Amino acid sequence: MNPAEEIKQLFPDSVLSTGLQMNKPLAIIKKEELLKVAQKAKEMGFDHLSVITGIDYGSRFEVVYNFFSYIKKQNLVLKVVLGHENPEVDSLESLWKGADWLERETYDLVGIKFSGHPNLKRILLPEGWIGHPLRKDYDMSIDQFVTIGEDGEDVVSTDGSNLLRK
Amino acid sequence: MKTDELIINMGPVHPSTHGVLRFKLTMDGEIIKKCEVVMGYLHRGTEKLGEMKTYLQFVPYTDRLDYISAFPNNYAYVKAVEEIAGIEVPLRAEYIRVLTLELNRIVNHLVMLGSLLLDLGASTMIMYGFRERENALQLFEMLCGARMTFNYIRPGGVREDMPEGFIPKLNEFIKDMEKRIDDYEQLISGNEIFLGRMKGIGVMSAQDAINYGMTGPSLRGHGVNYDIRKIEPYSVYPDIDFKACMHDGCDSFARYMVRIDEMRESLHILRQVVDAMPEGKAITYAKYGIAPITGAPTAASTYFPRIFAPPPGEVYSRIEAPKGELGFYIVSDGTIKPYRIKIRSPSFCNLTAIPKMVEGLMIPDLIAAFGTIDVVLGDVDR
Amino acid sequence: MDPLTIDTTKIKIKKNKPVTAIDKLNDTGLISTVLAAREREGLILFSAIDQFFNWARLSSLWPVTSGLACCAIEMMATAMAHHDIARFGMEIFRASPRQADLMFVAGTVTKRMAPRVKKLYEMMPDPKWVISVGSCANTGGPYHESYSVLRGVDLIIPVDVYIPGCPPRPEAWLYGIIQLREKIKNQGYGAKWGLNK
Repeated sequence: MNPAEEIKQLFPDSVLSTGLQMNKPLAIIKKEELLKVAQKAKEMGFDHLSVITGIDYGSRFEVVYNFFSYIKKQNLVLKVVLGHENPEVDSLESLWKGADWLERETYDLVGIKFSGHPNLKRILLPEGWIGHPLRKDYDMSIDQFVTIGEDGEDVVSTDGSNLLRK
Repeated sequence: MKTDELIINMGPVHPSTHGVLRFKLTMDGEIIKKCEVVMGYLHRGTEKLGEMKTYLQFVPYTDRLDYISAFPNNYAYVKAVEEIAGIEVPLRAEYIRVLTLELNRIVNHLVMLGSLLLDLGASTMIMYGFRERENALQLFEMLCGARMTFNYIRPGGVREDMPEGFIPKLNEFIKDMEKRIDDYEQLISGNEIFLGRMKGIGVMSAQDAINYGMTGPSLRGHGVNYDIRKIEPYSVYPDIDFKACMHDGCDSFARYMVRIDEMRESLHILRQVVDAMPEGKAITYAKYGIAPITGAPTAASTYFPRIFAPPPGEVYSRIEAPKGELGFYIVSDGTIKPYRIKIRSPSFCNLTAIPKMVEGLMIPDLIAAFGTIDVVLGDVDR
Repeated sequence: MDPLTIDTTKIKIKKNKPVTAIDKLNDTGLISTVLAAREREGLILFSAIDQFFNWARLSSLWPVTSGLACCAIEMMATAMAHHDIARFGMEIFRASPRQADLMFVAGTVTKRMAPRVKKLYEMMPDPKWVISVGSCANTGGPYHESYSVLRGVDLIIPVDVYIPGCPPRPEAWLYGIIQLREKIKNQGYGAKWGLNK
């Protein structure tokens, strides 16, 4: 049976709707119930978390989780819809260790916070970078430069006079 | 005697880190207590650039993700685009694509073996590996004109059909490679120093490996038989007879042996593909499209889809790249440019397991274990 | 048989032995040195020393391993047996910049990596040269509009030779190296110390 339908039967008030993502079963979950549903999905046999994607739609954010089960050879897609100010959702790091860096990358590039994550820092961009690049309102015309500070860590600023040749 | 912990930095510029990757190691004497991986020194913003280009213009960017094996990157992206846009591909193009994918798998494993052994101190294997790679690159050059960044697999087929004289030269290459793989195995696998440095190093249980999101040959070295070409087959793989290579060792030596076996399986697949290559067109005629200059919808007589607007939707499609599971998540909003492209790269997810794997080892063991995970920085940082 | 293979054992180059005194003088290269020195309006002694130092420098440039991205793989291919870089004296890629005098900047220089590349350049002792390889290091390349890419490495360090390509073929690498050798041949101690005018 369709794994999304199973989840809808077990948690009828957490699931907003079910459907298909190009022939993979999809279930849209309420933001507060994500940890419960994900735990149930792990018990159902979905032990491989493929990817976590954060998408900026202008008026809302969406976080999409793609799962796969080695044992039953099935796919499952869970989706969470967040509002546009202060997007925040529970972290799945306690269930799948691979979600650690995927969530850090989503925080870094899209700006979605994951509560309960042990180490939510920027991973691909240096620490002091201003803004989240994959948002639709990121200003690409500001040039930010990185220099090495005193303790060996990166210092980000918009003026590159230390670095550039005259 | 009172001792203190020491933080050592294996900096971005290092000969053994396969690129610009930084490790911050907290050491107690010679043993590593904690390893923190710092990346992002090659972050080029590919995903943001994807939102500014049309679907066909993004194909060269996918070449530069995992630059050693560029064909699988092209193919993973093009497969996702074809699913979301509903483009059909002729059978001959599929066979040519599988040919290039498997040839690229051999090239990738040669480079991995070469750089692994160079890190351990032996410089013979990299010389042999790059000599074989030159032969394969001459084949690629006959096909598409480039040595490393091919831009050959496009939505709707491939760029051009195979030239004359390609198949005989390919057959020569296959015959040559057979003997050489036996040479390599004899050179490396029996060597005492190699065995001493690889057996029992970098051990991780299969449950942990799956939890950390490891995929590909590194996972098959832990005894988990997960090959996307067998489980969710794509292209013409259902018609080809091959087996997924697996070893039970859970350590670096098993991960290395999987790659030697995979090279042999790739040669087996290549022979079948060459025998079964059908006649026909190698590119598809567009069923719909937008003429580049006038902007009007065209009839089904254009070359292949250059500018097209797929219906709104989203898709996640993945293939078995030589390093692991490579997936593209594309969101389309009905215009000629994609709305969001997310790249699930195997090197990024395999690297998650390194801090757990190297606790309690020494620094040379870190280099040996890290070499078998087969990481390329273009994939990690995108 | 492959028509492109040439059997070099079958080729013999004929060189005439110098017979007259003028031929023998020509052979030593003294006249061309003196004429070159007069052209540059410098002292003959320093020009000869110039030539000697330049010849010593260009024959054994030691590169530092600073390959960043895809062009680094073509660097490895150029250094391997098929397109040999050792015939130019460069087969030892030093890991430490203190022992090197040539830096290939091969690959995209991102904003985060830029201060490290600059530090690497400053750590190399004089005389040093920089070759910028590939379109990413020349001007930013295909990533020119990206938010985190430095648009060309010549914004931070002075560059001697630019090699275009994405990635450049090993034949293009070797052509760029030959151009650098031509450039070094025309440098001089005399020029640096201002003795040539």
